[in-house]
Amino acid sequence: MSIVEALRKRSPWILHFDTGSCNGCDLEVWALLTPRYDVERFGGLNRANPKHADILLITGPVTKRCEDRLRNLYEQTAEPKLVVACGDCASTGAPFHNCYNVNGGVDKVIPVDVYIPGCAARPEALIDGFVLALSMWDKKVEEAERRKEARK
Amino acid sequence: MDLSAALLQILVAIAAPLVVGLSMGVDRKITARMQNRKGPPVLQPFYDIGKLLLKRPLIINELQVLFAGATLLFYAAALALFVAGGDLLVIFFVAGAGSACLVMGALSSSSPYSYIGGQRELLAVFSYEPVLLLVVLSIGLEGSFLVGDIGAGLLTDLPLVLLSLVPVLVILLEKSPYDIPTAHQEVITGPYVEYSGPYLAIMEVGRWVHLAFIYGLFTLFFWDPDPVVSLAGKVAIAFAALLATIVIDNITARLTRERMVTFMLTAGIGMVALNLLVLFIVRGSL
Repeated sequence: MSIVEALRKRSPWILHFDTGSCNGCDLEVWALLTPRYDVERFGGLNRANPKHADILLITGPVTKRCEDRLRNLYEQTAEPKLVVACGDCASTGAPFHNCYNVNGGVDKVIPVDVYIPGCAARPEALIDGFVLALSMWDKKVEEAERRKEARK
Repeated sequence: MDLSAALLQILVAIAAPLVVGLSMGVDRKITARMQNRKGPPVLQPFYDIGKLLLKRPLIINELQVLFAGATLLFYAAALALFVAGGDLLVIFFVAGAGSACLVMGALSSSSPYSYIGGQRELLAVFSYEPVLLLVVLSIGLEGSFLVGDIGAGLLTDLPLVLLSLVPVLVILLEKSPYDIPTAHQEVITGPYVEYSGPYLAIMEVGRWVHLAFIYGLFTLFFWDPDPVVSLAGKVAIAFAALLATIVIDNITARLTRERMVTFMLTAGIGMVALNLLVLFIVRGSL
């Protein structure tokens, strides 16, 4: 493991965004900061600011109203970044499938790296997904470089 | 000055911010343990800085980058002067220029969070700078304005002055009850909102350097002819101050901006004044 990857792995700053969730998953995301789950032991901090964030924890099925905001937040986050879709709604749209006012999943709007199932996603599952996302930095950086090459 | 002394000073000037960075890690660990959490590793602040330097830079405007650099440079100049045994008043004003650059950097962006953060940082500066100036003046009155000439006796003569530095440290460490500029639930990270990646790292290191100067003021209060005892005492005073702010942070809720200004300009200045008054009565002169 290179130093670069180690540093990225040990300091994942979080941006949590609710795109029209029922708040079930949001409560579980907030539970990660409590003493019981304490995501700060992995170095994770909730920065609530896309410019500081490395990992975007997105909940909700992405309503049409939220679409632009979500894209905006994604674009304001500096590379390299990871997107984690938390819960069934964020992964597939789940009960809101084919609703006229939702997009049906985060991946319809921005690229997603990790999907966490569950309604609501349990904190243990969220930590699992979070840690899985941390192992993807190298792949992510490679991808970004390949995209840069392709553009040239 | 001979070469080895100069080398030692350069070494101390470089090591001091790193020690402050380590103290931030210790701070996060102790805070986590106080809240019954496991907490991040002690080296976490360094991981954060390293990670930030590796992020792709996003520039909002060139002015902001300029102010970020200026903030770090002014704070670094203040610390260098301090380590070299310079004049405390000059150091105080150079550090003040750094704080001014921090505010201007925040105000240079159109983001409302950054703007409010800048305004609040100004209020914080308005609250702690008068106390800091009076502390510096009292040290000058009792010992000397030249850091290199300050000897023993400050702790016994100016205990309340030392105490008045604690709320200053609370504000500068962005801790409750006076974490006004960076109140997370209100303005996220306030003046730092618009900085990202390497520029945020510059601001963070700047903060460490500034804090190194403030901890330096704490260490002035202890001195012993034996360098080992002297160093141990200095470290003990700085660590006690950090521990006090951590405890205050964990047992208090955030107060309003007005309360911060009122407290610092009455209780903060009052403590220094009381100390000097008692000294005057006991000795008959200053």
